[in-house]
Amino acid sequence: MTQVQQTSTPRLSKQRRYRYLMYAFLLGGVAVGLGLRSLDYHVLSEAVYWVGIVGALVVWKGTSVTLFDERDKAIDRRASQLTMTVTAVLLIVGASVVRLGTQLGMVDAPPMVHGALYGYVSVAVIFGLSYLWVRYRP
Amino acid sequence: MKNAVREHREDANLSQGELAEAVGVTRQTINAIERERYDPSLELAFKLAAHFECRVEDLFDPELDADSTA
Repeated sequence: MTQVQQTSTPRLSKQRRYRYLMYAFLLGGVAVGLGLRSLDYHVLSEAVYWVGIVGALVVWKGTSVTLFDERDKAIDRRASQLTMTVTAVLLIVGASVVRLGTQLGMVDAPPMVHGALYGYVSVAVIFGLSYLWVRYRP
Repeated sequence: MKNAVREHREDANLSQGELAEAVGVTRQTINAIERERYDPSLELAFKLAAHFECRVEDLFDPELDADSTA
Protein backbone atom coordinates (compact mmCIF):
# COMPACT_ATOMS: atom_id res chain seq x y z
CA MET A 1 0.00 0.00 0.00
CA THR A 2 2.84 2.37 0.87
CA GLN A 3 4.44 1.68 -2.49
CA VAL A 4 1.19 2.61 -4.26
CA GLN A 5 1.02 5.95 -2.48
CA GLN A 6 4.64 6.72 -3.26
CA THR A 7 4.20 6.11 -6.98
CA SER A 8 0.92 8.00 -7.29
CA THR A 9 1.84 11.20 -5.48
CA PRO A 10 4.29 12.69 -8.03
CA ARG A 11 1.82 12.12 -10.92
CA LEU A 12 -1.02 13.79 -9.06
CA SER A 13 1.07 16.78 -8.12
CA LYS A 14 2.27 17.01 -11.71
CA GLN A 15 -1.31 17.14 -13.00
CA ARG A 16 -2.27 19.77 -10.44
CA ARG A 17 0.90 21.71 -11.10
CA TYR A 18 0.11 21.91 -14.80
CA ARG A 19 -3.48 22.98 -14.18
CA TYR A 20 -2.39 25.61 -11.67
CA LEU A 21 0.29 26.79 -14.10
CA MET A 22 -2.31 27.14 -16.85
CA TYR A 23 -4.68 29.08 -14.60
CA ALA A 24 -1.78 31.20 -13.33
CA PHE A 25 -0.89 32.22 -16.88
CA LEU A 26 -4.51 33.00 -17.71
CA LEU A 27 -5.56 34.84 -14.55
CA GLY A 28 -2.12 36.38 -13.99
CA GLY A 29 -2.03 37.75 -17.54
CA VAL A 30 -5.47 39.29 -17.18
CA ALA A 31 -4.82 40.69 -13.69
CA VAL A 32 -1.38 42.13 -14.44
CA GLY A 33 -2.70 43.43 -17.77
CA LEU A 34 -5.53 45.24 -16.01
CA GLY A 35 -3.09 46.66 -13.47
CA LEU A 36 -0.76 47.95 -16.18
CA ARG A 37 -3.69 49.43 -18.09
CA SER A 38 -4.78 51.34 -14.99
CA LEU A 39 -1.22 52.76 -14.86
CA ASP A 40 -1.54 53.86 -18.52
CA TYR A 41 0.90 51.25 -19.87
CA HIS A 42 -1.57 50.25 -22.58
CA VAL A 43 0.78 48.52 -25.04
CA LEU A 44 2.61 46.65 -22.28
CA SER A 45 -0.76 45.73 -20.79
CA GLU A 46 -1.86 44.09 -24.05
CA ALA A 47 1.48 42.30 -24.37
CA VAL A 48 1.18 40.82 -20.87
CA TYR A 49 -2.44 39.89 -21.57
CA TRP A 50 -1.41 37.93 -24.67
CA VAL A 51 1.51 36.31 -22.87
CA GLY A 52 -1.05 35.01 -20.38
CA ILE A 53 -3.39 33.71 -23.09
CA VAL A 54 -0.67 32.07 -25.16
CA GLY A 55 1.08 30.71 -22.07
CA ALA A 56 -2.14 29.04 -20.90
CA LEU A 57 -2.69 27.51 -24.35
CA VAL A 58 0.89 26.23 -24.48
CA VAL A 59 0.57 24.57 -21.07
CA TRP A 60 -2.86 23.13 -21.96
CA LYS A 61 -1.94 21.71 -25.35
CA GLY A 62 1.77 21.16 -24.77
CA THR A 63 1.63 18.60 -22.01
CA SER A 64 0.93 14.89 -22.31
CA VAL A 65 -0.65 14.94 -18.85
CA THR A 66 -4.46 14.61 -18.85
CA LEU A 67 -5.61 18.00 -17.59
CA PHE A 68 -9.26 17.77 -18.70
CA ASP A 69 -11.15 14.56 -19.39
CA GLU A 70 -14.67 13.44 -20.28
CA ARG A 71 -16.08 14.46 -16.89
CA ASP A 72 -14.71 17.98 -17.32
CA LYS A 73 -16.35 18.08 -20.75
CA ALA A 74 -19.64 16.85 -19.25
CA ILE A 75 -19.46 19.62 -16.64
CA ASP A 76 -18.74 22.12 -19.44
CA ARG A 77 -21.79 20.90 -21.37
CA ARG A 78 -24.08 21.22 -18.36
CA ALA A 79 -22.70 24.67 -17.50
CA SER A 80 -23.14 25.76 -21.13
CA GLN A 81 -26.74 24.54 -21.16
CA LEU A 82 -27.43 26.43 -17.94
CA THR A 83 -25.77 29.55 -19.34
CA MET A 84 -27.88 29.37 -22.51
CA THR A 85 -31.05 28.89 -20.46
CA VAL A 86 -30.28 31.92 -18.28
CA THR A 87 -29.32 33.95 -21.36
CA ALA A 88 -32.56 33.00 -23.13
CA VAL A 89 -34.69 33.97 -20.14
CA LEU A 90 -32.86 37.29 -19.78
CA LEU A 91 -33.25 38.03 -23.49
CA ILE A 92 -36.92 37.03 -23.74
CA VAL A 93 -38.01 38.87 -20.59
CA GLY A 94 -35.57 41.79 -20.90
CA ALA A 95 -36.36 42.55 -24.54
CA SER A 96 -40.10 42.47 -23.87
CA VAL A 97 -39.84 44.72 -20.82
CA VAL A 98 -37.65 47.25 -22.67
CA ARG A 99 -39.87 47.26 -25.79
CA LEU A 100 -43.12 47.61 -23.87
CA GLY A 101 -41.70 50.03 -21.33
CA THR A 102 -40.32 52.27 -24.06
CA GLN A 103 -43.59 52.25 -26.02
CA LEU A 104 -45.62 53.11 -22.92
CA GLY A 105 -43.11 55.70 -21.78
CA MET A 106 -42.57 53.90 -18.50
CA VAL A 107 -38.94 52.92 -19.03
CA ASP A 108 -36.10 54.81 -20.62
CA ALA A 109 -33.52 52.08 -20.88
CA PRO A 110 -29.94 53.37 -21.06
CA PRO A 111 -27.81 52.45 -24.10
CA MET A 112 -25.93 49.91 -21.98
CA VAL A 113 -29.13 47.86 -21.58
CA HIS A 114 -29.76 47.89 -25.33
CA GLY A 115 -26.13 46.89 -25.89
CA ALA A 116 -26.48 44.01 -23.45
CA LEU A 117 -29.66 42.80 -25.19
CA TYR A 118 -27.96 42.92 -28.58
CA GLY A 119 -25.11 40.98 -26.99
CA TYR A 120 -27.57 38.29 -25.88
CA VAL A 121 -29.02 38.23 -29.40
CA SER A 122 -25.49 37.69 -30.75
CA VAL A 123 -24.94 34.80 -28.34
CA ALA A 124 -28.26 33.25 -29.41
CA VAL A 125 -27.32 33.57 -33.10
CA ILE A 126 -23.89 32.04 -32.49
CA PHE A 127 -25.53 29.21 -30.55
CA GLY A 128 -27.95 28.57 -33.39
CA LEU A 129 -25.16 28.47 -35.97
CA SER A 130 -23.05 26.23 -33.73
CA TYR A 131 -26.00 23.91 -33.22
CA LEU A 132 -26.59 23.63 -36.96
CA TRP A 133 -22.92 22.98 -37.63
CA VAL A 134 -22.69 20.27 -34.96
CA ARG A 135 -26.03 18.75 -35.99
CA TYR A 136 -25.42 18.57 -39.73
CA ARG A 137 -21.66 18.39 -40.13
CA PRO A 138 -20.57 15.45 -42.30
CA MET B 1 -25.17 4.44 -11.20
CA LYS B 2 -24.16 1.78 -8.71
CA ASN B 3 -20.76 0.35 -9.46
CA ALA B 4 -17.99 -1.83 -8.08
CA VAL B 5 -15.07 0.22 -9.32
CA ARG B 6 -13.74 0.88 -5.82
CA GLU B 7 -13.88 -2.82 -4.93
CA HIS B 8 -12.07 -3.84 -8.10
CA ARG B 9 -9.49 -1.08 -7.67
CA GLU B 10 -8.76 -2.00 -4.09
CA ASP B 11 -8.56 -5.69 -5.00
CA ALA B 12 -5.96 -4.73 -7.60
CA ASN B 13 -4.12 -2.66 -4.98
CA LEU B 14 -4.29 0.47 -7.11
CA SER B 15 -4.65 4.07 -6.04
CA GLN B 16 -7.25 6.27 -7.72
CA GLY B 17 -4.42 8.13 -9.42
CA GLU B 18 -2.89 4.97 -10.85
CA LEU B 19 -6.21 3.72 -12.17
CA ALA B 20 -6.92 7.17 -13.63
CA GLU B 21 -3.58 7.15 -15.42
CA ALA B 22 -4.17 3.65 -16.73
CA VAL B 23 -7.49 4.54 -18.35
CA GLY B 24 -6.59 8.11 -19.36
CA VAL B 25 -8.72 10.25 -17.08
CA THR B 26 -8.11 12.42 -14.03
CA ARG B 27 -8.11 11.12 -10.47
CA GLN B 28 -11.13 13.29 -9.74
CA THR B 29 -13.12 11.40 -12.37
CA ILE B 30 -12.33 8.03 -10.80
CA ASN B 31 -13.30 9.48 -7.43
CA ALA B 32 -16.59 10.81 -8.84
CA ILE B 33 -17.40 7.42 -10.41
CA GLU B 34 -16.69 5.58 -7.16
CA ARG B 35 -18.92 8.00 -5.27
CA GLU B 36 -21.63 7.49 -7.92
CA ARG B 37 -21.64 11.17 -8.76
CA TYR B 38 -20.62 10.65 -12.38
CA ASP B 39 -21.64 7.97 -14.88
CA PRO B 40 -18.75 7.30 -17.25
CA SER B 41 -19.06 7.16 -21.02
CA LEU B 42 -19.36 3.78 -22.71
CA GLU B 43 -15.76 4.13 -23.87
CA LEU B 44 -14.49 4.69 -20.33
CA ALA B 45 -16.70 1.93 -18.94
CA PHE B 46 -15.21 -0.53 -21.42
CA LYS B 47 -11.70 0.69 -20.67
CA LEU B 48 -12.29 0.09 -16.96
CA ALA B 49 -13.72 -3.36 -17.63
CA ALA B 50 -10.77 -4.22 -19.86
CA HIS B 51 -8.35 -2.98 -17.24
CA PHE B 52 -9.91 -5.20 -14.57
CA GLU B 53 -10.42 -8.05 -17.07
CA CYS B 54 -14.11 -8.31 -16.33
CA ARG B 55 -17.39 -7.50 -18.04
CA VAL B 56 -18.94 -4.04 -17.94
CA GLU B 57 -21.93 -5.57 -16.16
CA ASP B 58 -19.59 -6.74 -13.39
CA LEU B 59 -18.51 -3.15 -12.81
CA PHE B 60 -21.73 -1.21 -13.36
CA ASP B 61 -25.29 -1.93 -12.29
CA PRO B 62 -27.83 0.25 -14.08
CA GLU B 63 -30.52 -0.85 -11.60
CA LEU B 64 -33.01 -1.36 -14.43
CA ASP B 65 -36.40 -2.46 -13.25
CA ALA B 66 -38.14 -5.52 -14.70
CA ASP B 67 -40.39 -3.49 -17.05
CA SER B 68 -37.56 -1.60 -18.71
CA THR B 69 -35.57 -4.76 -19.41
CA ALA B 70 -38.50 -6.73 -20.81
